[in-house]
Amino acid sequence: MRAGRLRGGLVLSYPTNGLASPFEDVASPSTAVVPLQQDQGGACAPKVKKNDDVLVGQMIGESQNLHGASIHAPISGKVTEIIKTFQSISGQTVPAVVIESDGQAQWIDNPAESDPLVALQLAGIVDYDRQTIPLADKLEQARTRNVNSLIVNALDIEPILSSRGRLLQEQPAKIATGIDAIKKILNVTQVFITVDENAFQSVSSIQSALGGSTHILPLCNKYPQAVDYMLVKYVTHVEIPCADGVCIPDVGAVVVDVESLAAVGRKKPVVERFLTVTNSKGHVKNIRVTIGTPIRTVLDHCGITPDKGGKILAGGPMSGMAVASPDLPVTKDLVGIHVQSQREVVAPADATCIKCGLCVEVCPMRLMPFMISGFSEKGMYAEAQHYDISACIECGCCEYLCPVKIPMVQFIKFGKKQISDQRSGA
Amino acid sequence: MKTPELVASSWPHIHSGNSVQNMMLTLIIALLPAVVAAFLVFGLDTLKVVIIAMASAIFWDAVLQKLFKKSLTVYDLSAAAYGLVFAMLLPVTIPWWIIVLGTLVMMLLGKHVYGGLGCNPFNGVLIAYVALLLSYPGHMGNWPMPTSDMMMTQYPPLVELKENGPFLLEDAFPVKDLFLGTNLITGSIGEISKLALLLGGLFLIVRKKISWIIPASFLFGLTGFATIFWLIDPNTYASPIFHLLAGGSLLAAFFLATDWPTSPVTKYGMVFFGLMCGVMTMVIRSWSQWAEGAYFAVFIVSMITPYFDKIRPKVFGARFTSKRPVRL
Ligand code: SF4
Ligand code: SF4
Repeated sequence: MRAGRLRGGLVLSYPTNGLASPFEDVASPSTAVVPLQQDQGGACAPKVKKNDDVLVGQMIGESQNLHGASIHAPISGKVTEIIKTFQSISGQTVPAVVIESDGQAQWIDNPAESDPLVALQLAGIVDYDRQTIPLADKLEQARTRNVNSLIVNALDIEPILSSRGRLLQEQPAKIATGIDAIKKILNVTQVFITVDENAFQSVSSIQSALGGSTHILPLCNKYPQAVDYMLVKYVTHVEIPCADGVCIPDVGAVVVDVESLAAVGRKKPVVERFLTVTNSKGHVKNIRVTIGTPIRTVLDHCGITPDKGGKILAGGPMSGMAVASPDLPVTKDLVGIHVQSQREVVAPADATCIKCGLCVEVCPMRLMPFMISGFSEKGMYAEAQHYDISACIECGCCEYLCPVKIPMVQFIKFGKKQISDQRSGA
Repeated sequence: MKTPELVASSWPHIHSGNSVQNMMLTLIIALLPAVVAAFLVFGLDTLKVVIIAMASAIFWDAVLQKLFKKSLTVYDLSAAAYGLVFAMLLPVTIPWWIIVLGTLVMMLLGKHVYGGLGCNPFNGVLIAYVALLLSYPGHMGNWPMPTSDMMMTQYPPLVELKENGPFLLEDAFPVKDLFLGTNLITGSIGEISKLALLLGGLFLIVRKKISWIIPASFLFGLTGFATIFWLIDPNTYASPIFHLLAGGSLLAAFFLATDWPTSPVTKYGMVFFGLMCGVMTMVIRSWSQWAEGAYFAVFIVSMITPYFDKIRPKVFGARFTSKRPVRL
C-alpha cells in the first residue's frame, strides 16, 4: 500500500528512531503533585481535604460535566497539602493536590458507570490534538452530529516522538478494545487507522481483532500530519475550515488518538502517561510515568541533565511549550519531553523579511505567514484577519524555514490573542 | 541536580539553519558555471569585471550602511551576490568606473533608500542596468570579440536579429553553439553558455532556494509567444528555439525574475508573473528599439508584483460548504 503524503509541511528526520525502544517504567514518586486542571475543560472541584487518605485511582478532582475530565490520585497515601495557586505546565494557575505516598500502590474499586460517556469523563480520559481535550467532550460533539467513521490517530504529533507508535506495538489488544468501545458509543461502522509507514506492521493484529471495515492508512513522515484537520482531510478528502461554527465531526468523522484508546481499553482511571523523552543530542527513550511525578525525576531516569541556558520542552522541538521549571509534575497535557542544550537554542532575530516565499510554500494551511505575522506585529489586526490568521494551526513550519528567523509563531499567537480579546470586549 | 536557568520562548525551538547568507552563497555558486563559461570565451577580462562588480558592491553596501546608520550586514553576502548578478549583465569591455557607478546605483536605489534588503520594490541589479543602458548605451553595447582569430560575427545573436532579420540566424548561430556558448557567440558575461545557466538554475531549484514555477512559466510564456508569431510569419520573426537560447532569456528566467524581494510568493502569482515576463520579453524584442528585452521585461513586470501577490491560494477549508456528513 502506498503511503500518503501531506501537502505542505516539512520532512523532519532524526538519526534515532524511538519506535524500537520499549516503554520503561519510571518509579512512582514518593510525593505527587497533581494539578486539578489538566485539559482544556474547566478546573475540577477538589474532592479531598488535607490529611485524607487516598488510594490509586480515587477521584480527587471532579469535573462538573462532560466538557471536563476528572482527576484521580496517581499513588496511594495521604493528602499533605492543597495548593490554591499552582502554575501548571501550560502556564495556567490552578489548584493542586499534594499526595505523600505510603508505598502500597493500592487501587480503589470504583463503582461501574452505566452511561459510557460519563464513564469516560469519570475515568478522566483525554485526547490530544494540539491541545488536551476531554475525550467525553469530543465524543459527545461527534455523537450529536451522527458521525459514521472513527479515525484512529496512531501518528506521533512530531517525528521525534514515538510513544504512539510504540503503544501500537505493545498494547494492541487494549487499543482494539478501546476502538470497539468507541464504535459502540458512537454507533459507527468504519474505522480508519492512520499510522506511520514504519509502524505499519504493528497494526495488523488490531485490524484482525476488529474485523471488517477497518482500514489501515499508512502515511510517510511529514510534519504536521498528525493534526486532526490533516488526518480528516487525508481520510475524507474534505478540508474543514478552522472557523467558528464548523467542527471536525461535521464531515461525519471523529479523530481519537491511540493513547486515549488504550486508556479506554484499560477501563481504569488515567493515572499514567506514555511519553517519549528526547534531547537534542539524539537520545530517545519511551517511558511510562505516573502523573504527578516531577519532570526532574523523569529526566534523571533517562540520564538527561538539562544545562544552563537550555530548554525543557513539553512535547517536541517544533510545537512544544517551554517548561518553566523541571520541578513541575507530569500531567495529562504532556505528550513528550524534549531537552535542548544551550547550543541548540535558536536566538530570536530582529530582521526584515526578504519575501523569499519559503514560508508561503511550506504552510500546510496555505496561508501567507509573513503577512499575518507582519500585520500582527504592527497591530493591524483587521488585515491579519483578512489574511485568515485564525486558520493558522501554529505548527511552526514557516518559522523553521525562514532565512531571517522572524518569530512568526509568536507574532501570530499574539495577534490571535488580541483579536479574540477585542471580540470578547466588543 | 541543580535547577538550571531555562530559556522560555515560543515554538518552534529548532531551525532549519537557512539564512540569507546561505541563500546568497547558493546564488553565487549557481552563477559560477556561467562565469567559467565566459572566462573560456573572453579570458581574464571576465574575472576583472566580476571582481570589480562584487568588490564595489560590497564596498558601497558597507558605506551606505554606515551612512544610513544601519548595522553592518555585508557578511550576509547579499552585496556580493547582487554584484555578481550585475556583472552578468555587462559586456567584458566595460570600463571599471562604469561598473563602480552601476553598483552604487544598485545599492542605493535598489536597497538602501528603501531601508534594506526585502523592502525594495525593484531589483537593484535591474535599476542599475537600466540606468547604465540609458546613460552609456555605447559602453553597454560595445560587444567584445571573442578571443579567436576566426570572426563570424561581432554582434550578439539578438542584436543580429534586430539589425538583419531572422534570415541568416540559423547559419550564424547553430543551436548547439547557442546552447553551449561555443564558436564565437558574444554577449554579456551571463549570456554566453546556456548550459551553464541551466545547471546553475537547476541547482538553485534543487536546493530549494527558488521555486521552479517562475522560470518555467517565464520560459513557457516566452516560447509560446515566439511560436505563435513564428508560425504566422517566419520571415519576420525568429524561431522559438532561437529566442529561448539567445541573449538573456535563461539568465533572466532563473536569476532575475526569481529575485526574492521583487518576485511574487503565491503559486498563481508566480505563474502569472512568469508568463507576463516571458511575453513582455518577446514584445520588447520584437517591437521596440532594444534588442534584448528580458531584463527590461522583468524590471517592468516586477513593478506590479504586489498585485500578483493578491492572487492568494484558497485557505485550507475555504471550499467547505455543506454540513452534510461525507459517506465513506
Ligand atoms: S502560518 Fe501557521 S499554519 Fe502556516 S506554517 Fe506558519 S505556523 Fe504553520
Ligand atoms: S520565510 Fe521569512 S524571509 Fe521568507 S518570506 Fe517568509 S517571513 Fe519573509
